[in-house]
Amino acid sequence: MKSINIADQPWLSMRRTISITVDGIRYRLFRASVTVAVIVVAVAFLMNILAESLIKRSVASNTRERIDTSRVIYNWSAKLSSPGSQESIIIEVANCSPDSDLYRETQRFAAMNDEDMAAFQTHAQKIVFIFDFFNSLDYAKRRAMIHTASGLEILNRLRSPENMEQFKLALSRIRSVHFDMSYDELDAVLAKGPEIRKQIGTIITARRKAIAVINKTLKGKTVLEKLATADGPFGDTIRQAGFIFDADQTAPLVADQAQRLLDILALEESMEERPTRQLIAQQANILPADVNVMMMWKYLDGKRFATRYLEKMQEAGITTEGLAPERLVDLAQGRKENAALLRAERLTLDAGKGVLGLGERLGWLLFVSMLVCGIGITNAMMMAVTERFNEIATLKCLGALDGFIMIMFVLESCFMGIVGGIIGAILGGVIGLGRMLAAFGVNFLGAIPIGDIIVGMLMSVLLGTILAAVAAVLPSFKAARLAPMEAMRVE
Amino acid sequence: MAETTPQSDAAQKNADRRIIIRTVGLKKSYLMKGVLTEALRGMDIEIFQGEFISVMGPSGSGKSTFFNMIGALDSPSVGRVFIDEVDVAQLTAEELAYLRCHKIGYIFQSYNLIKYMTALENVTTPMAFGGVMPDEARSRGMGLLDLVGLKERWHHRPIEMSGGQQQRVAIARSLSNNPSVLLCDEPTANLDLHTGQEILEILQRLNKEKGVTVICATHDHRMMNICDRLMWIRDGKIDRIADRSDVHIEVGGIDGH
Repeated sequence: MKSINIADQPWLSMRRTISITVDGIRYRLFRASVTVAVIVVAVAFLMNILAESLIKRSVASNTRERIDTSRVIYNWSAKLSSPGSQESIIIEVANCSPDSDLYRETQRFAAMNDEDMAAFQTHAQKIVFIFDFFNSLDYAKRRAMIHTASGLEILNRLRSPENMEQFKLALSRIRSVHFDMSYDELDAVLAKGPEIRKQIGTIITARRKAIAVINKTLKGKTVLEKLATADGPFGDTIRQAGFIFDADQTAPLVADQAQRLLDILALEESMEERPTRQLIAQQANILPADVNVMMMWKYLDGKRFATRYLEKMQEAGITTEGLAPERLVDLAQGRKENAALLRAERLTLDAGKGVLGLGERLGWLLFVSMLVCGIGITNAMMMAVTERFNEIATLKCLGALDGFIMIMFVLESCFMGIVGGIIGAILGGVIGLGRMLAAFGVNFLGAIPIGDIIVGMLMSVLLGTILAAVAAVLPSFKAARLAPMEAMRVE
Repeated sequence: MAETTPQSDAAQKNADRRIIIRTVGLKKSYLMKGVLTEALRGMDIEIFQGEFISVMGPSGSGKSTFFNMIGALDSPSVGRVFIDEVDVAQLTAEELAYLRCHKIGYIFQSYNLIKYMTALENVTTPMAFGGVMPDEARSRGMGLLDLVGLKERWHHRPIEMSGGQQQRVAIARSLSNNPSVLLCDEPTANLDLHTGQEILEILQRLNKEKGVTVICATHDHRMMNICDRLMWIRDGKIDRIADRSDVHIEVGGIDGH
């Protein structure tokens, strides 16, 4: 027989390696599926939390936007009735963006050039920062620093040196509180106090004048009633008085919302009349004395009831001009939507903090669950290696390289990671979606960030796979180092 | 029983033949619970090409350790093992894998077939490790299965076959890369008499027709009938080596024959 020159053993092709690995998994499907289940649970947990926080964050910004829009009427009716306080103007200016109507309007009232206005805003932001700092303190700490001062009084108080000393002393003693502004900067803000006060005074005076112009045109009507025609001549009046009131967008929106508010007020008032009250009592099967506004809105959601309600209103002698059953239903639904918005706002208060919108505690929980999953996979792979001692040793007798054995086990774990990751990501995503839909209702469907969720799913699958691969390294190493003579052992 | 001592005229008779495995002063000791246990205490043997040699010895005699040494599965504490004049201790891990793959065929007492592979896949796996193309491996594998009479059952998994059939697949597998040496660790121990006889016949045929060197650890006395030389191991040393012609054995026939 020929003599063989010893050479290096070649590497097995990846295709063959994968096919051997897959055959091995198929043969031990039950064990593999238990391991996969561990990965599924971990990845589903991750994906669920991720999906919920993504949806929450998106719903939160959507809600804020919608609520802001729905409150335009309140802003305008307030603005046309009162010039506002010094503090409210500072906060307004600090928070508005330089290309907004409010910014330009304030600039006009203050009669400032662009540069001064920008400086004014920067200053207002610093003052708001100081306000926020003191507002975040509890009563005892706040009292120790600035006694009972609030609002602009704080700045006045701090301008006296001894009060400033008190503040600094208190700040140095209370270690849990950090004031992220240098004392120099604080002094600069305080030094500018009188100037700011003067500027705000100018704004308030200008506003008061503008409001006086508006008041002349009211002729016994309320501002709200007048605002219902804001898309008409009243809008021009507002503009002439010096306000910046956009005719194309803001005006129709304000007019519509004003009319809505008027209608709602009219309806809620009408409920006090005998015939209408009796109708609601009849519908709810209770005494007329127990009827409340909530019930009226609940029943007005149906068109048949709305029609009958309108009839009863006429019976009671209330003018129903401009009110149709459809309008009533629409108003009732608008109220419902508003309630949903408020609920969503409350539910999403905690959204958007920390990495990916996860809080510190959730992040920690996720980390621990991933760790537990990793240990579970390691354990399962250890068991698999022990169970396959004979097989591994035999393969080595047949000429398998250590690297092949290593790759075989890591691959096996990776496959389970991919399968478990995909199932887990889908499961977690669906559960998260379902839970969020149940919490916020279907009218937030448009706010669901599908793209972000898909990216999150891919990330979860990737993470599951990496986790499985890393967890398999140690058992695979153990398998690769197994002595081939183990094959001789008789079981 | 006429006895001969090692290194006798039998060795002289074989002097002109090629040596396939040679051990020099082979010693192996294990440290078990702090106690040094000597499994092999100095073994010198030459095994010739084309030989059928039976290794006998009670359990604990060092037989398995000896097998691990000459199969390149373990390294000696002292001494050397030459396989085809290559010092096993000098080889890297990759070269050892190559040696195991191409030079030596292993046949185990418990067959050790890969459970999730079909008979053919079991036979072709060592070829894949050796870098043989799949098509060639398949045709060669079928040829080897034909050799052991299991061509029709190439797609069966080990669990669907009897012990004897599994051992035949294992023999086909051990031959897949045309090894010079077949190392058989009690190949008939788990089989009934009749099936064991079949396996022995296959081994004998391979030895005679293909000229494969067969080294067989066994308790099976029928092995004595077909081997060229017999070797007894006791307490980690070679007790004696004898040519079969020098040993008179009385073995009863197998029932039904």
